[in-house]
Amino acid sequence: MNIPKIWSRKNSILLKELVKTDFKIRYQGSVLGYLWAVLRPMLLFAILYTVFAKILKMGGDIPHYSVYLMTGTVFWSFFSECTSQGIQAIVGRSDLLRKISFPKWIIVVSSTITALINFLINLCVIIVFALLNGVTPSFTWLLAPLVILELYLLSLGIAFFLGSINVKYRDISSIWEVLMQALFYAVPIIYPITMVSASSVVAAKVLLLNPIAQVIQDARYLLITNQSITVWNFIDNIFLRFLPVLITLFILTIGSIYFRKHSKYFAEEA
Amino acid sequence: MSKTQKSIQKSTEKAAEKTQERKVAITVSHLSKTFKLPTERSFGLKQVIFNRLRGIKGYTEQQVLNNVSFKVYDGEFLGIVGRNGSGKSTLLKLLSQIYTPTKGKIEIDGSLVPFIELGVGFNPELTGRENVYLNGAMLGFSNQEMDAMYDDIVNFAELPEFMDQKLKNYSSGMQVRLAFSIAIRARGDILILDEVLAVGDAAFQKKCNDYFASLHGKQTVILVTHSMENVMAYCDRAILIEKGKIIEEGEPAKVTEAYLKLFNLNS
Repeated sequence: MNIPKIWSRKNSILLKELVKTDFKIRYQGSVLGYLWAVLRPMLLFAILYTVFAKILKMGGDIPHYSVYLMTGTVFWSFFSECTSQGIQAIVGRSDLLRKISFPKWIIVVSSTITALINFLINLCVIIVFALLNGVTPSFTWLLAPLVILELYLLSLGIAFFLGSINVKYRDISSIWEVLMQALFYAVPIIYPITMVSASSVVAAKVLLLNPIAQVIQDARYLLITNQSITVWNFIDNIFLRFLPVLITLFILTIGSIYFRKHSKYFAEEA
Repeated sequence: MSKTQKSIQKSTEKAAEKTQERKVAITVSHLSKTFKLPTERSFGLKQVIFNRLRGIKGYTEQQVLNNVSFKVYDGEFLGIVGRNGSGKSTLLKLLSQIYTPTKGKIEIDGSLVPFIELGVGFNPELTGRENVYLNGAMLGFSNQEMDAMYDDIVNFAELPEFMDQKLKNYSSGMQVRLAFSIAIRARGDILILDEVLAVGDAAFQKKCNDYFASLHGKQTVILVTHSMENVMAYCDRAILIEKGKIIEEGEPAKVTEAYLKLFNLNS
């Protein structure tokens, strides 16, 4: 599996076809169709906003809290969709694996690309919403693709790793669902990180070392307000600042190696 | 791998010049395949941990193919026969690179189009047309290449008026006909077929039979079948597999006789 082989013509044709198929099938038989890709994260945002901003009066001291919350939920939805689709990808296409030989990673990547496209559409909604909310456009917006890439690579690494285990032990997808519930509260999405740092600075720093939290806080900093707390302005140790990125690269590497080693036997085990 | 393939190709070409030997399309050497079959229900984390604790391996090993070697020549029509469970289908899946060999090596010169277990993984929610293109992509053909083959495939399947309907609205016979047409009309170098000559109604079968007869000497085909009639009609050569080993190889008539003998001995 050397680099030129990965991006062969054959593979890119197949990747394109699989992404197209995914798109056609995902919302088939639903009246609103593709609109659901935008509606789902926006409705989640609406619920969280009603409960936490309106009823519990959270985030009053953060400028543009609604945009801030929407950014969190959209990035989270992307991570959640990417990993859950990616983990299920191989098992879901086992009928194909047993009939024809092709590079297995294409299945995983195609399912995450669908999530990525959905996310990019939602990102446009965030930008419109931010402008309506009075957020001033800034050159830092141009840096946003970097953190999006980081989140995508993290999701891909997790999908490769857990997706290969899921072929043999289907418990993984259920475990992941529960874990995602827990993670949702471990990441400062609904609550501002200042709420944690007010009672314990150390706890806030630990929370920030989670790559998902780092990405979401960075995105808020880049897109909304430079008052957002990020690893870069809140943690002093240089090594710790880069730890979330290192964790991401580590998970991606381990995931790819594990996937590559086991993909030979997917057809027999799936 | 490709380097060795090339060098093998070169050396066979040289040999062909000297001794008029034919080009080799597939070389299978000392191929073995062992499956781990779960003994109890050893799927799921709970059962695995439970088995570990009790010192149970959780699977038994079954050797499906044992040290199999043979060659397929370019343009040859090779039949593979054997009883149920003898390892034929496993061999085809190994040749199609769906399974990974436990031991041994398979060298393939050219592109390969497999047609295994009736159907190539169609999606019921897509239309016939979309499925043809998706299938083409799985076989490594671009949209443009599929454009060139499309009419031919659809006409062979006799389904031109149904191509814009979803596959789930096709009858099972129509689905198989379409899948089969893609496999045989896609321009691959080597065609691998599993038990498919019984596709469609009598008219379609006759068409397939005529088509197979016309392939003779033009395309490399490997066919797994239980029909000795087909072996005699189409194959240049045949292989008989029993308990994961080749026990007879050569002229279709000779192999057919050996195959029928298997049943006499056991009855």
